[in-house]
Amino acid sequence: MNVLELRGLTKKFGDFIAVDNMSLQIREGEIFGFLGSNGAGKSTTINMISSLLRPSGGEIRILDRDATKQTRFAKMNLGIVPQDLAIYEDMTAFENVSFFAGLYGLRGNDLKERVQEALEFVGLSDKAKSFPKNFSGGMKRRLNIACAIAHKPKLIIMDEPTVGIDPQSRNYILTSVRKLNDSGCTIIYTSHYMEEVEEICSRIAIVDHGKIIAEGTKEQLKATITDVKDIRIELKSLDALDLEQLKSIPGIRVLSVQQDDNMVRIQSDAAVDNLNRILKQLIDSGMEIRAVEEQAPNLETVFLTLTGRNLRD
Amino acid sequence: MWNDIWFLVRMTILTTFRKRGNLLLYFGLPIVGVLVASMLYGSQSTPDLRVGVVNEDGNQVIAADTIRFVQGLSHVKLVNTTKEDLKKGIAASKLDTGIILDAGYSSSVLKGKAEHISIESVKGAQVTAYIKSMLYGYIDNVTAMGSIAAGDTGKFQQLNETYQAGQFKLTAESVNDKSSGQQMSYQSIGFLIMFMMTSAVNLSQLILKNRENRTYFRILTSPISSRTYVLSNVIVNLIVMIIQITVALFFMKVVFRIDAGIPVGEMVFILGLFALVSVSISLAIVSFSKSTAAAGALQNLIVTPTCLISGCFFPRSIMPEALRKLSDFMPQNWVLESLGKLQAGEALYSIGFNIVILLAFAVVFFLLATYKFGRNNDARNFV
Repeated sequence: MNVLELRGLTKKFGDFIAVDNMSLQIREGEIFGFLGSNGAGKSTTINMISSLLRPSGGEIRILDRDATKQTRFAKMNLGIVPQDLAIYEDMTAFENVSFFAGLYGLRGNDLKERVQEALEFVGLSDKAKSFPKNFSGGMKRRLNIACAIAHKPKLIIMDEPTVGIDPQSRNYILTSVRKLNDSGCTIIYTSHYMEEVEEICSRIAIVDHGKIIAEGTKEQLKATITDVKDIRIELKSLDALDLEQLKSIPGIRVLSVQQDDNMVRIQSDAAVDNLNRILKQLIDSGMEIRAVEEQAPNLETVFLTLTGRNLRD
Repeated sequence: MWNDIWFLVRMTILTTFRKRGNLLLYFGLPIVGVLVASMLYGSQSTPDLRVGVVNEDGNQVIAADTIRFVQGLSHVKLVNTTKEDLKKGIAASKLDTGIILDAGYSSSVLKGKAEHISIESVKGAQVTAYIKSMLYGYIDNVTAMGSIAAGDTGKFQQLNETYQAGQFKLTAESVNDKSSGQQMSYQSIGFLIMFMMTSAVNLSQLILKNRENRTYFRILTSPISSRTYVLSNVIVNLIVMIIQITVALFFMKVVFRIDAGIPVGEMVFILGLFALVSVSISLAIVSFSKSTAAAGALQNLIVTPTCLISGCFFPRSIMPEALRKLSDFMPQNWVLESLGKLQAGEALYSIGFNIVILLAFAVVFFLLATYKFGRNNDARNFV
């Protein structure tokens, strides 16, 4: 059964089309990766699914029912973990989860049990009476998740749940996502960390300019770009780098630069043997090469090839 | 839906009043308002009139009797002085008025035509009227006796003694002066109105606060609609204000024993109506604000000045005509005017127009807020 189905979903802000005739099906039990760089239309789509924005056109179906008409049913089966924390700092962890779960009609012992269960799930049961203002970033993120799962939704949308936290909390959250999925939840997961998406998502959609430009399992996506090789060259400095000169070398499709680690990433036709020419060009420009690596295509390569941009752009 | 509303109302009240400071803010300040009003208007009593007397008529009996008469008037403090000092005293506001008895005053009275007496004061001073009216009455009496005596001092004294010793049957009936209590309660309500408006904006600001910490959007992704959420905020607001009204009226009537001169039920009705207006204004303020800081600034721009113009802090009668006309556009003025009319003895049905105006204010601001909230499509802060 499809837990979520988008049929020609469109959202316009004046003349600007943020989401353009998007269609998508997410099946029960999937962890679905939703990838797109900033401004791609990802957030607008999620806002429409969660009833925060009214679509300009198309249809959203949750558990086979029209979500724009049967809003209460759709909302009852949906849990949102927003990217930015949405918790009350002046309420204890227990009160926070209790409040948000209470919005779904849970009361009394049932509510208490669900809250305890949710806090236990995210590893905060011993902090139930503590206030979030005393929590670490990772603990706050876990509480943010607990607030979205206590009512046991069928579909959970997690928007960058691991942003800005320590590796230990990140691992905890990723394990929790898998556990949630094992318990029967369908999850839509967005992240800027491609390795996370690659690690946990069973199917992925890449969104660009409000449209889904690729969709499938990671293997299927990688298979779409067998004609591309991914070359990474680490330089001592990027100061003398002339991208236009590099682009003129035959076979090069996409060029991108990672400023923080002085890395040039080149997507080139696999059939064209141009590595020597690329290196010569760099050396002739007076650049010092520290390392060269040719990689098999991964999700990042796929994303870069399809959108021409890094995920973090 | 009512189940959801009740849940939200309960949670909002619990979290708001968990902070002891809020209890003081919402319910302590109206009591302070009553206290301030009772201190400002409760100590008001008629001050003594300082009257300078210049007696240049020597030891004449009539002159001495006139001075004794003025001295005997209530709230009059007599100061013997000279003409020069009298002028200086009046100019320096050390004296309110002065009576000059020139030489020949007593003999003129004896002849039946009072002359050589004058009253001095700053031009237009109201105090002169009181002294004049009392003194003229006295002079009329003594000149009448002077006419009968026809210049015979002995006969005049006899007549005067008989007059002074005259036995009158006096019946006294005590009349309570309620004006002070009414003024106190009027101003207490003025302060209460301001605190009600401030509390309403503070409570409505919770909507903005929740937008800022994004919990508002999380709430909206649950089965709670924005209408239910705002309605719960309105109910919390009304509950808090009804408690404020009850507390303030309890302290006014029972603790400070201020008699407003209006039945409590009628006061609660008028103030309850104003609570609706306050909530509608606070929602309009919040709907036009992007942040709590902006709402706070709007509150400062709207609440305090309109309360000031409407006479919440001091009587409207002392304000210039232009400001009084301007205050006709303020709901606070219509509440105070309603209370004033009720204090003046009018029945509740006779202030129907005021009630309609107050309801109209509430409807207009509610509609304005609904329109603005409806057009707000900003969910970008959430995901």
